[in-house]
Amino acid sequence: MEWMTVTLIIFIYLFFVLFLGTWAGRGRESSVVEYIAASRGLGFFVMYFLMGGAIFSAFAYLGGPGWAYSKGAAAFYILGYCALGLVPWWLWGPRAHRAGKKFGYVTQAQLFTDRFQSKALSVIIAIVSIMAFVQYITLQMKGSAYVFEIASGGRIPFWAGALIAYVVVVVYVFYGGVRGVAWTNVFQGAFMISIAWVLGLYFAFKLYGGPTEMFRQIAEFNPTHLMVGPGSKMSFAAFSSALLVSVLGFSMWPHLFMKAYTAKSERVIKQTIVMYPTFAIFMVPVLFIGFAGIMQVTPDVLGAPDRILPWMFIHMKFPAIIIGLVLAAALAAAMSTQDTITHAAGSIFAQDLVEPLKKKKHTDKEATMWIRISVVGFGAISYVVAIFGGQTLVSLLLGAYGSIVQLLPLAVATFFWPRATKAGAICGLLVGVLYNYGIVLQFIPKFWGIHAGIQGLVLNFIVLIVVSLLTKPMDKEHARKFVTL
Amino acid sequence: MSNNQENDGYGVSIFKPGTPAGEKTRGIIFFIVLSLIILVQAFYWLFANSVEPFVMGMPFGMFFVVLFIVIEFVTLLILFFSESKDSTEGGNS
Repeated sequence: MEWMTVTLIIFIYLFFVLFLGTWAGRGRESSVVEYIAASRGLGFFVMYFLMGGAIFSAFAYLGGPGWAYSKGAAAFYILGYCALGLVPWWLWGPRAHRAGKKFGYVTQAQLFTDRFQSKALSVIIAIVSIMAFVQYITLQMKGSAYVFEIASGGRIPFWAGALIAYVVVVVYVFYGGVRGVAWTNVFQGAFMISIAWVLGLYFAFKLYGGPTEMFRQIAEFNPTHLMVGPGSKMSFAAFSSALLVSVLGFSMWPHLFMKAYTAKSERVIKQTIVMYPTFAIFMVPVLFIGFAGIMQVTPDVLGAPDRILPWMFIHMKFPAIIIGLVLAAALAAAMSTQDTITHAAGSIFAQDLVEPLKKKKHTDKEATMWIRISVVGFGAISYVVAIFGGQTLVSLLLGAYGSIVQLLPLAVATFFWPRATKAGAICGLLVGVLYNYGIVLQFIPKFWGIHAGIQGLVLNFIVLIVVSLLTKPMDKEHARKFVTL
Repeated sequence: MSNNQENDGYGVSIFKPGTPAGEKTRGIIFFIVLSLIILVQAFYWLFANSVEPFVMGMPFGMFFVVLFIVIEFVTLLILFFSESKDSTEGGNS
């Protein structure tokens, strides 16, 4: 039976990842700085894939072709965002790294909390991050569930598909910590990239005789599909503001920001940023797959655009082994994001929410245990939410997801503006987050199709500046510690 | 852009005190160049919102986006190497 071969390959793949992830963390001491930040010792090679795995998510691998298929040129946004997302990190990555080394931080909130001397800030950041993470994980679970559903010809239901992949992730994150995440991402990243190139070009040549001919046919079939603006699926304002907000917000994602503490040196951080645009180049053939699907299947037959990549492979009469490998690669994309997020969420819950609220400090060993327990707890909760989450819950999570960029003013203020005060920081962040919720929950109408995040960001900056200037400055020596790093 | 001490140490501080002038200039130049690249990418439709001509198999819009990714990559490489050259010569990391 063909589906059995396909499913078998996927399971072999899962066992291999599980083995690699748990193996990577063995024999290491059980401390917080090891579990969260690999004792600040990761080199360039591992960092590159660690950061790459995060962007090569189910969104990129399944959603990217889905966008190319259904929205056309709007998918170019993914390339730009992928390439540029890490550039702003040049400003805060090395600074956060120095601060981490000097003052012993392992999470993003610890840095901001110390700068603004506010536990409330830690709690707000932790709650927003964790809710955003649940949303992020939900997207990845949908991706892995599609993969199982298609591989097994519908025999593995959604809940089971999402569960299988995620249990593997939670297990190796539990045992392997950030090293487990990093080493599985090296393998998964290399695997996905090779599969993407070979197959993206294969489709263009096999079905159309080459990419040029493929695009010519698409343009003939639908003249505006390869453009943005009027008549296409994305307006000018939407494209530009979405790209800007994504680039500004990308390095603010807590699971990426905190990798500044994981790198061995500032040099490693900069090398990672320099090489990051290569991931966008790897995305080009992935988009080809979606474009190649346009003339092959109609949207009604396909169901959801995200199914285009698996659909293409199933209907191309490939041998079962190839289909198995491709689907395993799609799974790799989902899992390599899930592991980073799960690891970060566990760390943030234990370090930024539990620790500040406790009177007595944990010992290092206890704290690490807390993180491990949080990893499992977060895993269970996000799974339940993904399977049973209702509409209200989904919009709450979406609001948090859109709120991450609102952490940007905190980073700017921490590293460049000593005059910023605790009140300013908290008010700015709250205004940004609440404004974003206002738009998600439709209390506030959308404004010219400009991305809600940008609007919130402008308000956030204004409030931060005005409130800071109205309140008493913080201790000069303390605040200047962070600009003279 | 003016730096540090003027307003009692609370002013906007882009560079840490004691940064050599050359490093500051480089920082500002690359900040501007990279910001421009981000803006061009975000507003790519001003320059290349068309299908024809096809370049390297891609429609012109897509080629333009990819071209600017390559330009970005080269810019970052130059920035990286000029910085690391300085830090080995000057001896400050």
